[in-house]
Amino acid sequence: MKKLLILSFTAALMAPAVLPQDAQKATVAFSDPSRSRKLVVEATFGSITVRGYSGQEVIVEATGRTGFRRKGKEAEPPPGMHRIGGNSPGVEISEENNTVRISSGPSPFAQADVVIQVPTQTSVSVTARLGNAITIENITGEIETNNMNGQVTLTNVSGSVMAHSMNGKIVASLNSVTPDKAMSFSNMNGKIDVTLPAGIKANVKLKTNHGDIFTDFDIKLDSTAQAPQVEDNRKKDGRYRVQFDRGTTGTINGGGPELQFTTFNGDILIHKK
Amino acid sequence: MGTLWQSLDLLPLEEPSGDVRERFYEMLNAYRQGLASAEPRKTFHRWQIAAAAALVAVGIGLGYGVRGYGHPPVEVSQLREEVASMRQLVALSLMQQQSASERLRGVSWAYRAEPSDREVLEALVTAVNHDANVNVRLAAVDALRRFAASPETRRAVIDALPSQTAPLVQVALIDLLVDFKERSAAGVLKTLAANREVNDGVRQQAQWALERLQ
Repeated sequence: MKKLLILSFTAALMAPAVLPQDAQKATVAFSDPSRSRKLVVEATFGSITVRGYSGQEVIVEATGRTGFRRKGKEAEPPPGMHRIGGNSPGVEISEENNTVRISSGPSPFAQADVVIQVPTQTSVSVTARLGNAITIENITGEIETNNMNGQVTLTNVSGSVMAHSMNGKIVASLNSVTPDKAMSFSNMNGKIDVTLPAGIKANVKLKTNHGDIFTDFDIKLDSTAQAPQVEDNRKKDGRYRVQFDRGTTGTINGGGPELQFTTFNGDILIHKK
Repeated sequence: MGTLWQSLDLLPLEEPSGDVRERFYEMLNAYRQGLASAEPRKTFHRWQIAAAAALVAVGIGLGYGVRGYGHPPVEVSQLREEVASMRQLVALSLMQQQSASERLRGVSWAYRAEPSDREVLEALVTAVNHDANVNVRLAAVDALRRFAASPETRRAVIDALPSQTAPLVQVALIDLLVDFKERSAAGVLKTLAANREVNDGVRQQAQWALERLQ
């Protein structure tokens, strides 16, 4: 079964009297609610928020930010003419094989902030090219993000995370992790701040070219790695600080699946929940 | 139900008859006799020991015969090969998965492959160049360290550098070339450092690498 619907912003654009915050709303159902669900979002502009809720459907709300189109007179058809097309690719939603796909087209006229509500137990993959923040909340599943410009924030999530941002910081807080799932957090510029369950078992790999790595976890470092500087102030103020040269590996709670942190310009902070 | 139990109670108790005791002692006696006659068997006769030893010798001989005379390392290396191919299979199949997390696991399995394993090397290079997930690409770059000895690996790293779209992966490739002390990368690094379209951080890192490799 494949459903397709297009939220078109053209109507709003053609009527300058209707001004911002005219949210567009659509609801899509998964074809089989009993099977594992997946949400895939690909956005060119705007910010994306995905939030888990107790319902069974996907609720999409898009707020159009029209850029120069709404301000200028270009939205008005020339005298004696009417619009028959163009500018339409707003937000496109489709469902196939229990995967809901939402994409915003490459046109800057389609710039939109999108808030998506999905059932809590859903795997989520969000890619944003020229947009702003990616925010994911209250989700249990496989979470994947790829952001070019904005920050990635994951709050109250469980499962596994593969997060990348090119120029934004990454802040993630996981309540629990799926055993045996590999995880990775990376960015080029900005800090990576991750909070993990205290009992997590992992083989950690850490790398920053220009930054520090801090943690309050007891990370057992591999002997082959370059000796880091360790400041143990746990008796004084409870802060345990490990400083590495560039990259190193170690284990938490005896080791487990791969847990990778990579940044070029930024600090890595790994907190124990 | 109650009446059933009552009528069962009315049944007389079965008393053991006199010959039960007699039969019991008869049995006990027979058992003692049997035991006594079996006792001498505890000591082995010489011929029995000799036969056992001969059988063991024949068994060992047959064992060698079946396996091929006197080459125990063959079996060990066969086993090692089997383990290696099992690891290769796990790494390769995980790297094909749809889930990025699974592919990352596949990449970490590549560390357990033989450094001469060309198929795993090729899969890693493919991941570096084409995997949709930046984090999987990053891990694949790092896993190439296991294959550092092969000139193909170094070639692949140099080739991957200009076409790589994620700046963070480009930085990882540059760092790898520095760790490999790969001087033949100088040309590519120079071009990268001079290209204004390339990410600033990558250009800085390329410049830094050029200085380190001189």
